Amino acid sequence: MDTKSTPPPRPHQIPNPSRPDFLACWAAASPSKPMLAFHFLRALSRIHGVTTVRRRTRTIRRAAYSSMARAASPRRAWSRALLGQARARRSRTLTGRAVLLRRRRITAAAPPQPSSPASRSATIIAARGEISTAAARPLPPRQEGEPPRADALRRLVPGGAGMEYCSLLEETADYLRSLRAQVQLMQGLIDLFSCQ
Amino acid sequence: MSSRRSSRGAISDEEINELISKLQSLLPNSRRRGSSQASTTKLLKETCNYIKSLHREVDDLSDRLSDLMSTMDHNSPGAEIVRSILRS
Repeated sequence: MDTKSTPPPRPHQIPNPSRPDFLACWAAASPSKPMLAFHFLRALSRIHGVTTVRRRTRTIRRAAYSSMARAASPRRAWSRALLGQARARRSRTLTGRAVLLRRRRITAAAPPQPSSPASRSATIIAARGEISTAAARPLPPRQEGEPPRADALRRLVPGGAGMEYCSLLEETADYLRSLRAQVQLMQGLIDLFSCQ
Repeated sequence: MSSRRSSRGAISDEEINELISKLQSLLPNSRRRGSSQASTTKLLKETCNYIKSLHREVDDLSDRLSDLMSTMDHNSPGAEIVRSILRS
């Protein structure tokens, strides 16, 4: 872990492209920040052909959370939960479309039954329901100290539904640190790109 | 994991207090109150609000990044930095 103790650059300075001061001094704060930058920048560089602004915003936001989860240790339950959610979202899109196409072919070949639209939507809802119930298990919280607030916290932290209270506090602390690092990274990138 | 658990069901209050004080130190405006016991609920509420505000900030920053990326010139020094970071 190479960390240089250089003072942080002010956002008004135009950074010198030959010396990565920004990355070096920012990496001195925490050991995982270079990995965060690497994953996020790589994800950003892949976003080219997305034309709609809203879709690009959504893609960037998803890339932020995915890169945050990838840079974190896989021991952390919240990072596993985030990556699982991203995977489920991708497979849900593919599953929904595949089921729709299959149903359309079947109903086009066979005589149309009155229950086919209901069964088609039921299949899609079942596919989505599997994934959603797998993601949000309604486990009763272990009431060690704070039931009402802990529920709200469980909903906010990814993967917090199936955790004990003690693990929930640890995961929250780590999630907070990673979130803050991600926000700092994005803010730094915006400053970097906007002072040209 | 740094926390030591005596047994499966008996997590001591000290560990919970330790974790809660660690959370408190992470929050932006952490006032050092005398008794941390009484303000645990407030601490959890502040944590929830802080996480929500960080989510909103991520949304806002990704919005600004998306605007910036649409107007960024490919030969600007910023793109050079990004390319150099990705290469090394």
